[in-house]
Amino acid sequence: MKRREYLTSVGVGAVGLATAGCLQVENSGGGDTTTSETTSGDGTTTATTGGTTSQSSGPLRVATYDSFFGDEGTAGDWLKTAWEAEHDTEVRFTAPSNGVNEFIQRKKQGVDIDADLFVGLNTGELVRVDENLPNATLFDDLAGDVANAGDIKDSLRIDPQNRALPYDTGYISLVYDGTKVENPGTFEALASDAYRGDLLAQNAQTSDPGRAFLLWTIHEFGEDGYLDYWDTLVDNDVRVLDDWQPAYDAFLAGERPIVVSYSTDQVYYNGEDEIPRHQVGFLNDEGYANPEAFARFADTDKPDIAAQFAEFMLTDEAQRNIAVNNVQFPATTTATLPEEYAKYAYEPPEPVTFTYDELAGNVGEWTEAWAQQIASN
Amino acid sequence: MDRSVGTTDSEQLTRLAERAALPLAGVGTLAVLLVVFYYPVWTVFENALGSVARPFQPVREVLESEFYMGAAHGLFAHPARVPGDVLAWLTSVRVGFGWNWTGVVLGDPLTWPRALPDAWVVYPEVRKGLFGFTAWQAALSTVASVALGLPGAYVLARFEFPGRRTLKSLTILPFVLPSIMVVVGFVATFGQFGTVNDLLAWLGFGRVQMLYTLEIVVLAHAFYNAPLVTRMVGTAWENVDASAVETARSLGANPLRAFRDVVAPQLVPALAASALLTFIFTFMTFPIVLALGGLQLATVEVWLYARVQQLDYQTAAALATLETVFSLALMYVYLRYEGRRAAGGTNNPLSRHRLFDADTAREWLVRGGVAVYGVVVAVVFLAPLASMVLASFGGAVDPTLRWWEFILERQSGGRTQPATAVWNSLKFGVGALAVALPMGVVVAAFSARGGRGRKVVDAVLMAPIAVSGIVVGFGMLQSLVFGVELGGLRISIVGPVVVVFAHAVAGYPFVVRNVAPMLSSVDRRLVESARSLGASRGRALWDVELPLVWPGVLAGAAFAFAISIGEFDATVLLAEGGSTYTMPVALERYLVDRTAGPSVGPAAAMGTVLLAVTAASFVVIDYVGGEYRP
Repeated sequence: MKRREYLTSVGVGAVGLATAGCLQVENSGGGDTTTSETTSGDGTTTATTGGTTSQSSGPLRVATYDSFFGDEGTAGDWLKTAWEAEHDTEVRFTAPSNGVNEFIQRKKQGVDIDADLFVGLNTGELVRVDENLPNATLFDDLAGDVANAGDIKDSLRIDPQNRALPYDTGYISLVYDGTKVENPGTFEALASDAYRGDLLAQNAQTSDPGRAFLLWTIHEFGEDGYLDYWDTLVDNDVRVLDDWQPAYDAFLAGERPIVVSYSTDQVYYNGEDEIPRHQVGFLNDEGYANPEAFARFADTDKPDIAAQFAEFMLTDEAQRNIAVNNVQFPATTTATLPEEYAKYAYEPPEPVTFTYDELAGNVGEWTEAWAQQIASN
Repeated sequence: MDRSVGTTDSEQLTRLAERAALPLAGVGTLAVLLVVFYYPVWTVFENALGSVARPFQPVREVLESEFYMGAAHGLFAHPARVPGDVLAWLTSVRVGFGWNWTGVVLGDPLTWPRALPDAWVVYPEVRKGLFGFTAWQAALSTVASVALGLPGAYVLARFEFPGRRTLKSLTILPFVLPSIMVVVGFVATFGQFGTVNDLLAWLGFGRVQMLYTLEIVVLAHAFYNAPLVTRMVGTAWENVDASAVETARSLGANPLRAFRDVVAPQLVPALAASALLTFIFTFMTFPIVLALGGLQLATVEVWLYARVQQLDYQTAAALATLETVFSLALMYVYLRYEGRRAAGGTNNPLSRHRLFDADTAREWLVRGGVAVYGVVVAVVFLAPLASMVLASFGGAVDPTLRWWEFILERQSGGRTQPATAVWNSLKFGVGALAVALPMGVVVAAFSARGGRGRKVVDAVLMAPIAVSGIVVGFGMLQSLVFGVELGGLRISIVGPVVVVFAHAVAGYPFVVRNVAPMLSSVDRRLVESARSLGASRGRALWDVELPLVWPGVLAGAAFAFAISIGEFDATVLLAEGGSTYTMPVALERYLVDRTAGPSVGPAAAMGTVLLAVTAASFVVIDYVGGEYRP
C-alpha cells in the first residue's frame, strides 16, 4: 500500500500524524516486501517495492552505541568519511538506546530489523541473543564473506559460529591514584584491610566494565569461589555504582582512590601531573579482555556491502583509527598502534577472558547470584 | 438529507455539539490513554500472568522468595508456620534495663549523664527483603521531605519578601532536573572532597563520608520532593480564610490555639497528600539510589530495570505488578485524603508578615529560625545546582571556558546540537502541554462529579503516577514503536508524536491533581445557575468553573511542562533517529562523549542551559498566568 493511498483511506484524523512523519504503515503479510515509510528526521521518503533478490540501493544502516559515531574524532565518523570517499554507498549510523536488546525484541515479535550491521557486540550479549532466540537467526555467518577475517587475533575470537567478528578490544583493569595508594597487585590484597573503603566497581547487571570485572573474579576464583571473594570485598566496603561514568566521576572527585576501568586510561591523562593520579593496576598480572565485535543481520538486503564494510573495518588503517578514536586496542595481528598512543595504552601481561561456550548458560545465573549477594548485604 | 438547514437547525446543531463536547472529550481522553498507556503497559504486565496451568506463577515466585520479601516471604511460602515463627522471634527478644556506673566520677558532672538508666532491646534481625527495604527508605525519604518542605510552606505562605512569587514558581524546578545531573551536583557538594566537607575541614572537623550511605540517598530524595510538600502545603495555607482565624481569635483563642483549631485542620490533608505522593515517588526511585548509594542499597525499581535489561520479562513483570498494586493502593488512600482537602481559593487569605521587618523579640526569634532554614535550603538545594554550574566552568580551582566552547563547537557541526535540544525540548513541552492540559481538565471534570466508585476510577486514571517509568517506556517501545498488526498491516507510531504522547501521559495526572480538588470545591450553585440558564455541562465548565479554578489549571500546566522537559527514560527509548533528542538526552550524550574525554564539563554546561531555560519558562508561566487570576 502506498503512503498516499493510505492517507486517503484513513481520513483526516491520521493525516496530521502521517504528514508529520510519525505514523508508519507497512505491509506485514506475504513474501513481497512493500514498505512505505516517512522519515521526519531528514525529510527523505523511501519506498521500496519488490522482492529482495537484488542488492537494494540506499545507505548501509549500521546500528551501534551512542558514543561510537556522529562527532568529529569518533571512530564512526572516521569510518564513514573514509568509506564514503571510496564507495558509492552511504553509511548511516543509528544508536538504539536499548542496544542489542532492541533487535532481540524485534526478531521475537516479527518486526522488521531496520539495520544491516550491528557494531559493538560483546560475548555476553551474543550469549543473550542466542538464549533468547533459540529458533531464530538474528545474525548470519559473516566470517566466510570477509577475506581478512583471518587476521583477527585468536585470543579475541568470541563466536564459535563465526557470526560476530571482533574489531577492537579493551582490557579491564584497576585505575588507581598513585599519590594515595599503592598498586594492590593481587585480588587478595585488594580485599585486605590496607584497601578498605578504596574500591569503586560497577553493576555487572547493567554495565560492561562491571560485568567484565565480575567475570574476571569468576575466572580467578571459579564458580564456587567468586561469591566468597565478593563477600570479602563487601566486608572491605567496596561500592558498586550503576555504570562506568558515575564510578569514574566519583574517582575523579577524589571520593575513592581505586576504580574499575580500562587499561588505556593514560591516553586521556598523560600530563606530567596527571600520570601519578592515573596509574593502571593489573591484578595477578592479568586483565580481562572485553572484545567488541560486529555482526551482520540475517535479514539484511545488502549482505555484500555489509561484508565489504566489515572487511574495511579490519584493514590496518581502519584498525589503527578505530583503536585510537575508540581508545581501545586493535583486534588484528597485523595492525599497530601509533607510537605516541602505544606509550600510554597498557596491555596486561596475561589477558584473560571467558569464551562463548564458557559463558553460555551461565552468565545470567552468575550475575543474578552476584547481584542478590551484593544487594542483600 | 431531507431536512432543510435553517438558522434554527444550525443553532440546534451547535447546541448538540456543545452538549456532546464533554462526553466526546471524555471518550477521546480514554482512547488516547488506551492506545498510549494502558495497552503498552499491559503488554509488559501480561508476562506476569504465567501459564494456564500455573496462573500467576511469576508473581508467586517473587512473593515466596526471601530475597524479595524478606521475613514476609513466609506469609506466602508457608503460611501455616508463620504464627510459630513470630512466636519464636518474640520469645528471643530480650529487653534489659539497668544502671551502669562505670566511668562515672562523682566529682565530675560531665560524667553524670552516663549514670542515667540504660534500656536496651536485643532481638534477632528481621530481613526486610527488597520490598521491605524499598518501603523503609521511602518512609525515611518522606519524613525528610516533609521536614525540609514544611518550613518552606510556612515561609512562602506567611511572609512577604521580594522575589517570593518567583521563589514559589521555582519550587517546581527539582522535578525537571535529570537525576544524572543532580548526582554530579550531590557528589560535588557532599563528597569526600566536596564543598561541605571542605568547610568541615576548614572549621577543624574531620572529613565525613556521606556518599554511599542511606542518609545521602534520603537527602537526595528530599531535594526532589520537599519542594512538592512546600508547594502543596503552601497553597493550602494561602487558601486559609483569614476571617475564620479572626473569629477564633475574637472568641478568645490564643494564636497557638487558633492555629491548632482553624489552620492546622486545613493543612493536614494537603500535608498528608504530599507525603503520600512523596512516598510513592521515592518507592519507585531508581537512578539516585544506584548513583549515590550503590547496588548495596538497591530498590525494587533497580531490580526491575536490571531484569528488563536481561530480557527476563517474567520476573520484571511480576515485580512491576506488585509495585503497581502497592502504589495504586496508596494512590487510592491519597485520593481519599484529597477529597477532604479544601483547596478552593479564598478571597480573604491570611495577611503576610514582612520578612525583613520585626519589632518584638519573638518576631526576631522567628526570623532567626527562618534564617537558619535558609542556610539549610542553601546547602541542600543551591549547593548541588551551584556545583553543577561551577563544573561547567571547570570548577573553582581551574576555571576555564573550554566546555562552553566545546558546546558551541557542537552547535556548528555535531550530532547533538545544544540549540536543537533546547528547541526540541520546548516543542515537545508545548506539545505535551497541549495534550495533557485538556486531558487533565476533562478527567478532573469527571472526577469532580462524584458518584459511587469514583475514587476507584480516579485511582485507575491516575495510574501513570503509580506505574514504573521503565515499564511504560518498554511497553511503549514494544507496542507503539514496533507497531501493532492490524489486518495485514503493521502500524507503528514513531518520532516526535510518540514522545509527546509519552510526556503527556506522564504529565496529565498532575493537571488532574491540581484541578480536581479546586473544581470540587467550586460553589455548585454557580454551575447550576448556568445550567438552568441553558448552558451545557461543557459550556458551564468552560465559562464558569475553569476561570474560577485557573490557578489550579496553571499549576497543573507548569507541572505538565516540567515533567515533559525533565523526562529522560521514555524519551531516550522512544526518540529513534538522530533528530528528536531533548535537553536531558543531549546532557546524557555529552556525559559519555568520547571526544571530550571523561569529564562532566560538557554535560554540566548542557545542564546549566537546561536549568536556565526551564527556570525562565516557569517564571514566565507563573507571571503570565498571574494576570488571569480571578
